[in-house]
Amino acid sequence: MMDSEGLEKKIEELKLKEENGNVQTQAQGQLQIITFSELINDVSLHFQIIRFPKQIYVWIGYNTAKLGHMYAAATTRPNNMVSVTSILGGVSDNTGSGIAHRLVLKTGLNVILSCSIPKNSPMIETEAEKILIRKLISLGYTKSRLGATSL
Amino acid sequence: MNIDNSTSLFPLSQLNFSRQIKGNETEIIISRYDDHFLVIATQIGTMGTMLYARKEEGVSINPTFNVSVIFGKRDEPMLIACARQLIEHLSLSGSSRPLVLSLGLKDHSAETLKGIVSAVIDNSTW
Repeated sequence: MMDSEGLEKKIEELKLKEENGNVQTQAQGQLQIITFSELINDVSLHFQIIRFPKQIYVWIGYNTAKLGHMYAAATTRPNNMVSVTSILGGVSDNTGSGIAHRLVLKTGLNVILSCSIPKNSPMIETEAEKILIRKLISLGYTKSRLGATSL
Repeated sequence: MNIDNSTSLFPLSQLNFSRQIKGNETEIIISRYDDHFLVIATQIGTMGTMLYARKEEGVSINPTFNVSVIFGKRDEPMLIACARQLIEHLSLSGSSRPLVLSLGLKDHSAETLKGIVSAVIDNSTW
């Protein structure tokens, strides 16, 4: 049995413990991760989209869950032209760099794109880009016609 | 044919949570690909600096690791130290996969980086 004063003391002790100890309340993440797959000509294309407040990360998988080549793309000063650079995977195969470029144009955000589509598959690349853009529009991640970035 | 996301069908496994680290709300995402791990820790609304860390199979018993910045700040040794700790933990857990680590942090103090490392280690099932 505990009187109210004793109970108050216990609650205070608990609060202190929580502050001093490493009790971490782990909240569910705020960032949305969208994943989906589509079958195109016997090939499974997998998509992962992570929308950050000022950036977007996209992964396109070709049948497997390999990371593939990674590109960073953004508008650069002084005239807001889009620049794309390869950050992982070497420079001899630039499958996906075009997609990264056009994603910046469509979303107005910085883009990090990982793409494991093999080289010399322009049809798959085009199809993947179409599917991706369609999905981004449906999620509201693309710029509206008036030029503002929708959130 | 549109196969919408059902976690059992999608080939990636991923984990998404947030944690307070030194007073800053930190979003952490851990994504497991076939051939890499991707860890994103952000406090600033972007992915920030990206690092690549991998284990090098050498002749000696102790593995060596190669950590480099692939995008972003190249003059922050604490970020490299963070990647180094994580790749070593990954290796000790038995995985030889390289790690892509993305850190978008408000400060690069040792306390913050330690917080990131422990948050990732506590929640990962490499």
